[in-house]
Amino acid sequence: MSKPKILVWDIAVRAFHWLLALSFLGAFLTAESERMRDVHVALGYTMLGLVAFRLVWGLVGTRYARFTSFAFGPKRVAAYIKSLLALRPQHYLGHNPAGSWAIYALLALSVLAGATGYAIYNDVGGHWLEELHEGVANTLLAVVIVHIAGVLVSSLIHRENLVRSMLTGYKTGDPGDAHPAGRG
Amino acid sequence: MRSIGLALGLLAVVPAFAGTPNGILEGYRAAGAATVSAPRGEQLFTSRHGSDWSCSSCHTGNPLARGRHATTGKDIAPLAPAANAERFTDPARVEKWFRRNCNDVLGRACSVQEKADVLAYLMSLR
Repeated sequence: MSKPKILVWDIAVRAFHWLLALSFLGAFLTAESERMRDVHVALGYTMLGLVAFRLVWGLVGTRYARFTSFAFGPKRVAAYIKSLLALRPQHYLGHNPAGSWAIYALLALSVLAGATGYAIYNDVGGHWLEELHEGVANTLLAVVIVHIAGVLVSSLIHRENLVRSMLTGYKTGDPGDAHPAGRG
Repeated sequence: MRSIGLALGLLAVVPAFAGTPNGILEGYRAAGAATVSAPRGEQLFTSRHGSDWSCSSCHTGNPLARGRHATTGKDIAPLAPAANAERFTDPARVEKWFRRNCNDVLGRACSVQEKADVLAYLMSLR
């Protein structure tokens, strides 16, 4: 018997995810162009606004959007990665522990990239701030790549299409089977 | 690849000397810009190369003066070393901005010869 499709990612989480991804992609591609400088800056502001919204939504949003549903310590992350490597992955209906750390890193790096970019654009700080801004953006790209790799690996091992879930919001599962950390 | 090699070479071989406009120009000479021409550099700096921008669109026709960004209107510090002692003192930074701005104006990377000529022009301004 097959489990029902249930809504896991609400529309706000999905819209935030894809808008942040597109904004970062656009900002990265326009980084070296003076012709596109205002587009680059606008995309940076957009990222800051999106993250500000997500932080609020993480407190007051729906069940799986809340930080309390994916606040995992290092032991849980290690256990999850170990289970992945053993090809017997623990299943989480919401964010898994490794994914949650990628999310926190992406949120923090987005804020840092936006803040350093804002400072540079307003002529605060020297060349070192430009170097920091570029270092943060490159680190952000690296985390995005790890995040995508993790999504692909988890999708294959769990035999569930996580990319589609982030588009439609739906996953296959019994709401009662949700991990205890997901309740709240 | 050539400019990366040049930047690395400059950093490795002549670190103290490289940190001056003269040192950077010498680096270009060593990398193949045998005859350097300030007038040719000025021509490159002020012409539009078939597009809507020249270098002087932002840095103005007088690189001793402050510039103004062509899209954002932001203030730009003077480009000529005589007006701004910070310019052309960091080879990696010079390569980075030649890479970016040549792409904006010419739609391609500048050759070593072109960079040498533009630098010679900027150094000739007093």
